[in-house]
Amino acid sequence: MNAREREASLEAVASAHRAVDVDGRISAAPDFWDLSAEDRELAHQRGSQLRRLEAAMDPEGLSCTGQRVLAMIRSAGRRL
Amino acid sequence: MTPLDHHWPAIVAGDADAFGRWVAGAEARLRLSLSSFARVVDVEAVVQESLLRMWQVAGRIEIRPEHQGESSLRFAIRVARNLAIDESRRARTSLADPPTLERMLEAADPAAETEDAASDPILRRALALCIEALPAKPKAVFMLRLGDAGALGDHQLAAQLKMKRNTFLQNFTRARKYLVECLAGRGVRLDEVGRVRP
Repeated sequence: MNAREREASLEAVASAHRAVDVDGRISAAPDFWDLSAEDRELAHQRGSQLRRLEAAMDPEGLSCTGQRVLAMIRSAGRRL
Repeated sequence: MTPLDHHWPAIVAGDADAFGRWVAGAEARLRLSLSSFARVVDVEAVVQESLLRMWQVAGRIEIRPEHQGESSLRFAIRVARNLAIDESRRARTSLADPPTLERMLEAADPAAETEDAASDPILRRALALCIEALPAKPKAVFMLRLGDAGALGDHQLAAQLKMKRNTFLQNFTRARKYLVECLAGRGVRLDEVGRVRP
């Protein structure tokens, strides 16, 4: 992995987007498996910083993680 | 600051808005409690799965006065710990010495979060000014991801801006770095896990 690819993977893992697998479970970001242990920790830190900024910008104080989870719950229309 | 358990009766009754208020107060500390797993599991996925399970099992959580309004958070951290250990085993990268629940509760430092919450209006104002000052492409990328709130992957978001995924992510990196530096220039310093520091 070159420096550009590494940076892209770090940024992708720091995102709040996660796919849902066939069993309905939240999946790890595919890029997570390409990162070294140190870079996984760095991606976690970047993600934590971003969630803080997202929450600060949301009127309800919800990060993109919180908004995503609430959207899933509301779209189910009942207890999942 | 409202104790997290205050929201629980409404959550048990099925009030998703109340759950949103609980998530707003609990998410950062839940995430912080998982930091020692970050090298072996995708903490973001574990946080989302744990929050969904909290909604699913809300009625089974016992609120106890001795937990000082944090029975629900303690339960969430226990759920997250079990999920993280399961995930690390599935990936065959399990920790030799996973953190105890007590260590995770200590990591989810409530004092730090209280300080954070108090500084939110300052952070919000400074951040709005910094976003406004972003160069055009990084701003478009940052605002698109912010507005999408985790619904779409970066391939799909990039396509909306007629960018390749790598270009999209490079612009996002520029935006993130610019915002952190701009906030510091306005006296708002974030530590490595996003807590506001004096």
